[in-house]
Amino acid sequence: MRVSYNWLKDFVDITAPPHELGEKLTAVGLALDALDLREGPEGGDAVFDFDVATNRPDCLSHLGIAREAAAVYGVPLRRPEFDLRETDGEAKDRFSVSIEDPLLCGRYCGRHVSGVRIGASPDWLKARLEALGVRSINNVADATNYVMLELGQPLHAFDADTLQGRQVVVRRAAPGERLTTLDGVERELNPEMLLIADGERGVAIAGVMGGAETEISLTTTNVFLESAWFDPVSIRKTSRAIGLATEASYRFERGADIEIARYACDRAAALIQTLAGGVVHRPAYDLYPGKKAPASVRLRRKRIAGFLGAPVADEIVERIFERLGFSLEQTGDGWSITAPSHRIDIACEEDLLDEIARSYGFDKFPSSLPSWNGYGSALPQESAERTLRNNLAAAGYSEIYSYSFSSEEAERRFRPHAEPVRLVNPMSEDATILRTSLAPSMLAAVLWNLHRGIRDLQLFELSKVYDARGENRSLILAACGALRSKSVHEPERAFDFYDLKGDVEQILEAFHAPLDAASDDLPPYYHPGRAARFGALAVFGELHPDCAEMFKIRHRVYLAEIDVEKLLALPQSRRMKEVPRFPAVRRDFSLLLDKATQYADLHRIMMSAGIPELVRVAPFDRLETGPFPESKYSLSISVLYQSAERTLTDAEVDGFDQRLLQILEQRLGAQLRK
Amino acid sequence: MSSSTGIEQLRSIELQFERDRSSVADLRSLKELRNRYLSRKSGLLTLQLEGLRHIPPSERAEFGRAANELKSRIEDALASLERALSEREKTGALERERLDVSLPGNRRRLGHRHPLTIVRKEIEDIFIAMGYTVEDGPEVESTYYNFDALNFPAAHPARDPRDTFFVSDTMILRTHTSPVQVRTMEKISPPVRIICPGRVFRRDAADPTHSPMFHQIECLYVDEGVTFAHLKGTLERFHKQFFGEKTQTRLRPSFFPFVEPGAEVDVSCMFCEGSGCRVCKHTGWIEMMGAGMVHPNVYGYVHYDAEKYSGFAFGGGIDRYAMLKYNVNDLQLYFQNDMRFLEQF
Repeated sequence: MRVSYNWLKDFVDITAPPHELGEKLTAVGLALDALDLREGPEGGDAVFDFDVATNRPDCLSHLGIAREAAAVYGVPLRRPEFDLRETDGEAKDRFSVSIEDPLLCGRYCGRHVSGVRIGASPDWLKARLEALGVRSINNVADATNYVMLELGQPLHAFDADTLQGRQVVVRRAAPGERLTTLDGVERELNPEMLLIADGERGVAIAGVMGGAETEISLTTTNVFLESAWFDPVSIRKTSRAIGLATEASYRFERGADIEIARYACDRAAALIQTLAGGVVHRPAYDLYPGKKAPASVRLRRKRIAGFLGAPVADEIVERIFERLGFSLEQTGDGWSITAPSHRIDIACEEDLLDEIARSYGFDKFPSSLPSWNGYGSALPQESAERTLRNNLAAAGYSEIYSYSFSSEEAERRFRPHAEPVRLVNPMSEDATILRTSLAPSMLAAVLWNLHRGIRDLQLFELSKVYDARGENRSLILAACGALRSKSVHEPERAFDFYDLKGDVEQILEAFHAPLDAASDDLPPYYHPGRAARFGALAVFGELHPDCAEMFKIRHRVYLAEIDVEKLLALPQSRRMKEVPRFPAVRRDFSLLLDKATQYADLHRIMMSAGIPELVRVAPFDRLETGPFPESKYSLSISVLYQSAERTLTDAEVDGFDQRLLQILEQRLGAQLRK
Repeated sequence: MSSSTGIEQLRSIELQFERDRSSVADLRSLKELRNRYLSRKSGLLTLQLEGLRHIPPSERAEFGRAANELKSRIEDALASLERALSEREKTGALERERLDVSLPGNRRRLGHRHPLTIVRKEIEDIFIAMGYTVEDGPEVESTYYNFDALNFPAAHPARDPRDTFFVSDTMILRTHTSPVQVRTMEKISPPVRIICPGRVFRRDAADPTHSPMFHQIECLYVDEGVTFAHLKGTLERFHKQFFGEKTQTRLRPSFFPFVEPGAEVDVSCMFCEGSGCRVCKHTGWIEMMGAGMVHPNVYGYVHYDAEKYSGFAFGGGIDRYAMLKYNVNDLQLYFQNDMRFLEQF
């Protein structure tokens, strides 16, 4: 809300300079957004821009701001004075005014002013309007705008001779009814919208904008002036539905002061008389079906200290309310307080406590920490999530945050069977649903970095995915480029499948997850020969080249998707195992195996060979070709034997070796390479 | 051979040794030197001593003494030479192992946690230490929890589809973390002391200070006797913990439907310490939060007795706290996931 310093002085005697006034008003809730000091005669002017809260429409005028200033400085407030010269009109000049929907139009005041001369406004008026960024139109239109800025009451002036049948009807629009507004746009209306009509047609969208056909023109001589109160919700809905917000709708939808409508109408009529001449007809039209008795709210003295933290003396409390125009009545334990009609925000005791707090000053109340019994705690899985994040960071992965939005097309590629959460009003075509997978946004993050020449990446995201059944946390890892980049110390080492697998294994093992590897049932966006899963907990591998191409990624990208909800739900108990007291014996073999033999089979056979002393099997070399048949490959493995009871003898260990080799030969046709 | 001839020969051996000794440069030539003079079979001094039997017995004692003295002088000289040479060789070996320690270290890659994770956790820890419990709630939320139960009037502009993402007539993407207040109060009776961090959504076009998705943290305390003074004290303490002990906190009257009184919370600018700079637009203050005393209408929705209980609530943007903590000048940096940004945290 833009306000002129000089204009405020019409209503209140302020001696404080503009910046000080701005600070004082900010402290009582009128946040000063900007202060523009302007040069000019007699010290120039200052234009304030206040951020008026939505519950204080009474401050959307100079009088309203002046009222707050008067309360702050404890000086009187003057309402504008004017001299209205009325003339009894002839019966034939009378208008018929009616309200068909009194819930949506609580009051309708009208004035007939005849014999005006439309022309330019005087300089003082133009200057006041233009200082606030309002364009001067003509003397009558300017008068209505002036009174709105002065009193906060929106007004509208019709060319009275264009109102058919000298009728004004406030009614809902008919289905499909059309009206061309002042801005030249033809608008289609519906019965949700309130209309001002004459005897034949709509002439204004109530509280939003007047119609073009009844507009004041240079040839207008008779004016019908409207000053009404419309239901805020109705005005808001209409304004939104037709996509038209005006100074009038802005005020009506927040809540105008129903009591000021008549005064504003007379004030505007008097101003028109001054600016454009003419005769103000008697009677005034004032239909007021929405009149309500003012409600009073109790304020208990003990609540002041009990709610705000410190007592405030009775005379200060009374002075605060009196200065703001409230009326008080003392009761046994406090006061019964009635708010003025413009203070539509006052409904309960807390609202009165707020008036005391802001007027007395927030800074006048003490600050203290509450004391209590009890304890604080993090979310149940916060500690597990922290372990996860720390382990990932230690393994080289950096955390990303991506938008929760995605497109159907991107998600369908990864979760073709998910029923996504769709947005009714997305902001763009590629953000129409909530993501069902973290993969598309992860690949977008990889691509973002690749495009900027950053090729060696390890990223993770631990965030929510959504579908029609709910929202769940999910974890994704991605890697590409070099694990170790080339340096003076060592050559480059590309990130590969086994690096990813090792990272996934360590992440799962930290939560005691079983590592049941399988390579069946893999999602189609993985490379069929370079992907695997651990049960239902994790799927990982190289991105399918076709999928990479769809994302325009020309590098090998590795992905791992981990179901964190399942992972973190695993039972977690850690029990120490005895540290071995006797030495372990390591033996290495090189085996010749059929190309079709998978390591997992070999491992499983060895570990279930019935040798409790066999504690570890680890492959350390693999040769695809050599002095052996082409159908074979050579695998070197080291095995570790250890007993918890004694030091193993060479003879025992030789026996274990023989047994293992025998079983491997039987089951896999494995031969010891000599 | 007389003893005097023998002694002269000893002298010439010694002179020869002195000459030979000066040309010894390493332990190998030292060994050769030792052999040449002291070898049991062919050492020059050994051979000389073997000549003892040709010397008349009366002169043998004198010659023997002279020969033994020479032997011990040679042995001493050899020993000291050996010490010097092995010391020099050790030094040489270490010298050969010398590295250019000014080369950069060979680093293993360490990942980085996202700044929003770091700041969220930091804020959580401050409140947990003050006795608050962390709660969370759904991001796809009902209009009831997001608006109705928080005293937003039916026609409040925040409910407009221009501002809020709708999933259906009654379901939206939550526009703030405040619905968790209501959900928690429905579950438990006072005292309620919670904070809830989380993701929220508003239909704002992305720019350096706006994003359709951001993160908030909410605080709620409801009990008997909770006052506006407690709200002030808690906000002051939190900001001192987060930004440093010099930080000042200021409340300005404002309006939010679910609190009364409502306030904007400003903190003294951490860049200029309140003297005025570009970041605080030369006001010395930066707006950080919305706050207030819980509106009695909210208690009505959760069946709390507003006569018995009072409480405060406040909420702010985690993204904004991180911006001011790390001097991040563009909200979009959080969601672009550029490694050059992420690796700074």
